[in-house]
Amino acid sequence: MLQVLLVDDDSEFTEVACQIIEFIGHDVCVAANLKEAKEWLAQQKFDHVLLDFMLPDGSGLHLIDFINQNDLTPYITLITGHPSVKGMLTGLCGPKVSYIVKPLQREDIEATLNKSSNKPKKAKSNMPTLHFGCLVGESAPMQALYTMIERVAKTSANVMLMGESGVGKEVVANAIHTSTGATDPIVATNCGALSKELINSELFGHEKGAFTGAVARKDGVFVRAGNGTLFLDEVTEMPLDMQPNLLRVLENKRVIPVGGTREIAVNCRVVSATNREMSELAQGNILREDIYYRLAVFPINIPPLSERKEDIPLLAEVFLQQLNSENNTDFSWSDEQLNILKNNAWPGNVRELRHAIHRAFIMSDPASKTIQLPDSFISPFASKTKASSAISAGQTIEDLEKELIRVTLNKVDGNKTQAAEMLGISTKTLYNRLHAYGDFSV
Amino acid sequence: MNQADNDINQLIHDTRGPLNRISMQAELIKMVLENDMPKEKALVAVNKIIMACQDCSKSLQDITEFLQAK
Repeated sequence: MLQVLLVDDDSEFTEVACQIIEFIGHDVCVAANLKEAKEWLAQQKFDHVLLDFMLPDGSGLHLIDFINQNDLTPYITLITGHPSVKGMLTGLCGPKVSYIVKPLQREDIEATLNKSSNKPKKAKSNMPTLHFGCLVGESAPMQALYTMIERVAKTSANVMLMGESGVGKEVVANAIHTSTGATDPIVATNCGALSKELINSELFGHEKGAFTGAVARKDGVFVRAGNGTLFLDEVTEMPLDMQPNLLRVLENKRVIPVGGTREIAVNCRVVSATNREMSELAQGNILREDIYYRLAVFPINIPPLSERKEDIPLLAEVFLQQLNSENNTDFSWSDEQLNILKNNAWPGNVRELRHAIHRAFIMSDPASKTIQLPDSFISPFASKTKASSAISAGQTIEDLEKELIRVTLNKVDGNKTQAAEMLGISTKTLYNRLHAYGDFSV
Repeated sequence: MNQADNDINQLIHDTRGPLNRISMQAELIKMVLENDMPKEKALVAVNKIIMACQDCSKSLQDITEFLQAK
């Protein structure tokens, strides 16, 4: 998020420009003349100044002089009525000054603000690749996922995303949407969060007066997604008796808003998501079979973090750089810290990793450049999931033994005699094991 | 640059102002429609566009009269 100063004497233009700049995600202050602009610049630091060329009390160039004389460092964009100003700027103001020509469009403002927001990216040369603009990881399971996304994006098939909680199902839905190049948006809704009464209205829309509280007509998510993507999160949490309505829309590609009679054609791709396992779907009477085959034309399993541990350092790097960029800090990881993160189980997957990094970021001393990791990453949900995820094919017996000892020691606050009793081994054997594993703090 | 050039430049500048407002208000309407924002914002923007069109027309009339008087 940038701090932007908009200097222009046209109050109607500044009012609408502020709304647009804030919508893009930046903070904006307004000055109607050079005097006000200088007062703002004296008060606070700005990343970017959008500057009208002709102001009531002088030229925008006077403000550029003021900024240079006071060693201020914002990126400056002159808003001009005539492109010939480019000639004047060449050699006058250096690389941190650009211009945009009236009448302005939102893209002009976005593009020019991106120039300054991209500035710190110099230091981000080691930033891991963001696949489809949002996915991180170079492991084999992720490469397979990327291939599937590319393939399915070329079709209009409905996709069902499966995976443990926290693996990033919505991020993958976004990746599929981005990969299609659709100009219409991705619209997301959580089927588990909607009351039975509101599901139909949310999905299919309603007419004015259709029910108490329907004070105006509302489009449902199928219509709002247009030719884009509809992301139905936690689709398996939708009540069974509501599912036939969804099935009809998936089959006919037409919706009838609640309280309406008119059918509306819909043309979005439906990406649904569930954290239930395939076997649960079949046995648990959770999702009707006919709906499953409509939604899961192309099912995708998103790998849990435990199956792609080599991606943890890359994810950690991305999350930390995002936090650095949001908070104007310059923290970095040491190799040892990345190893600690890599060796943790992360039963809550990427969400838990991100949360732990955010917490460590907050706890770290801003004066230092090294992040401070907590002694342990225990979460209230870890034990619940650990039971099912602690053992997986590919782990060695030694890994499991080491983990068991660690968990037991945690349980008894590091008391080795008690831990040995619980493990059914002698204290001496426990010490031998700990020695072999290089001990670990509890 | 003589006085006449200055005057015509000023008149053209005065025309670009409302055009710029029209463009930005239209962008705001696009945002409202694409992002499920309150429709009232779009209505205000439409009224401002209509007023800016009047301002633009007046400026063009001023330019025409200026050129005819030369």
